[in-house]
Amino acid sequence: MTTQTPAAARTGHVRARLSPRRRRLVVRVVQYVVLLAAFVAVALLIKWDSVAENIFNIDAARALLPKIPRAFGNTLLYMVCSFALSIVLGTLLALMRVSEVRLYRIVSTIYVEFFRGIPALLYVIAVGLALPLVVNFSLTSTLLKVTIALGMVSSAYVAETMRAGLQAVPRGQIEAARSLGMSTARTTMTVVVPQAFRIVLPPLTNEVILLTKDTALISSLGLMIPEFELTKIGQNALSSGAGGGLTPMFVVGACYLVITIPLGIFARRLEAKGARSRS
Amino acid sequence: MTAQATAPVVDIRGLHKSFGQREVLKGVDLTIAPGEVVCVIGPSGSGKSTLLRCVNQLETASAGSVEVLGTEITDPDVDIDAVRSRVGMVFQGFNLFAHLTVLENCTVAQRKVLRRPKEEAERIALENLERVGLGDRGDAHPHQLSGGQQQRVAIARALAMDPQLMLFDEPTSALDPELVGDVLAVMRALAEGGMTMMVVTHEMAFARDVADRVVFIDGGVIVEEGAPADVIGNPQHPRTQLFLQRVLDPTHAHGTTTD
Ligand SMILES: Nc1ncnc2c1ncn2[C@@H]1O[C@H](COP(=O)(O)OP(=O)(O)OP(=O)(O)O)[C@@H](O)[C@H]1O
Ligand SMILES: [Mg+2]
Repeated sequence: MTTQTPAAARTGHVRARLSPRRRRLVVRVVQYVVLLAAFVAVALLIKWDSVAENIFNIDAARALLPKIPRAFGNTLLYMVCSFALSIVLGTLLALMRVSEVRLYRIVSTIYVEFFRGIPALLYVIAVGLALPLVVNFSLTSTLLKVTIALGMVSSAYVAETMRAGLQAVPRGQIEAARSLGMSTARTTMTVVVPQAFRIVLPPLTNEVILLTKDTALISSLGLMIPEFELTKIGQNALSSGAGGGLTPMFVVGACYLVITIPLGIFARRLEAKGARSRS
Repeated sequence: MTAQATAPVVDIRGLHKSFGQREVLKGVDLTIAPGEVVCVIGPSGSGKSTLLRCVNQLETASAGSVEVLGTEITDPDVDIDAVRSRVGMVFQGFNLFAHLTVLENCTVAQRKVLRRPKEEAERIALENLERVGLGDRGDAHPHQLSGGQQQRVAIARALAMDPQLMLFDEPTSALDPELVGDVLAVMRALAEGGMTMMVVTHEMAFARDVADRVVFIDGGVIVEEGAPADVIGNPQHPRTQLFLQRVLDPTHAHGTTTD
């Protein structure tokens, strides 16, 4: 042992083991085998003959089809209106959160913590059933109720995102605007908010995705037929006893994906673009 | 009008500024006459930027008074935005608005603060971009320009407001050496055109050639001031001598013993 030169010892050591490259190869092969085994296991757990009957039932899908365009449009409408409220209210709350006025900060913090803390479904039901009884104006429009319910919940998340964006705007940008004679409010509107929006556009897109899915919650309200959105028509088709198992749910699920997947791709593009322009 | 022509553009009296417990400016008196170019030099951390930023209230004075263009800006009820719209400021880090084009950078304050119509604002912006040699880059975004170009846009942005005083805080410190010359040339032309300027700089050659007066500041007080030939060429105070020795001959920074 002691007579061996350090160089020889090292060579012996390397020969005894796989090179890092070969080791990575072995690990990769093992991973693929495990993944394949998982697929096979899942495939074995499924009764394939009843999948066609209960999940991909063409007749059930065809029966649902005429109702899809209106429901799809309603889902989009509810989402867009809610997001419009959410973005305005969320930005306002974020500005209050970073304000120098303590009262504004407190109000905003309470709002955000409240709406992030309660299940959205509770609030949707509360707005749908209780709110019309306690406000002294007529709150009958479903669209208005939906916008209030989903928009207010979403604005709490938007506020948190926007706050991070507002704080990420470099101090020098504000100083440059002020040195040109812009007031605090003017600086906020012309420099800070537009730049914060650019920073938070990717996470904001994710918020739109969440909001799209949250429109499913309003199926728990008493909707009239022209107001039905995707989840509602899916549920109705399920309970109609027309057969086809869960096929309606899969059909409306696919409709959500038609909205959310492009949004996801859009968000990733924005993120990549943002990373490029910052480097 | 004649009275204003002779009244100082900047009149600082007994200015003190503290950040918490730390007193950064310890009683500064400085006046700048119309058309005068004053260069402020001094070691890092001596309070040069703080002094400059007190002139347009980016920092609020702790004590003392600052009068700019005939307005007492240390008065709590001052309309500071009105004063700032007549005082241009150029920052070390350029601070161009990242979400706007070069042209929009130069028009946004004209339109929102001075309420100039779009066409007039764009005409004035272009004139000033021409003046700094960037008349053809109006459509570019700041991140597409070199540091030197960005700084010249920042100067054009300030000039588009028709300022009566220009403040510069180490405008060339963040630039690659080969880009410094273009920015200094613009500033020199501005000085020769009669602009009143207060320039914090480490460019001794610029201070020597362009300044009417050089102010050396150290430890929050003005240690020495006078004509560039005197302060830079023949400094009287030992602290000024040591500072200039370090700046002008950095490879012999501790060369006092070898003299
Ligand atoms: N906002 C601030 N809060 C606390 N301390 C500050 C603040 N701004 C400046 N200082 C301190 O005040 C001192 C003077 O700063 P100032 O920026 O005026 O120096 P300077 O002469 O411009 O230096 P440099 O040449 O490095 O720019 C420094 O010690 C700095 O740490
Ligand atoms: Mg400084």
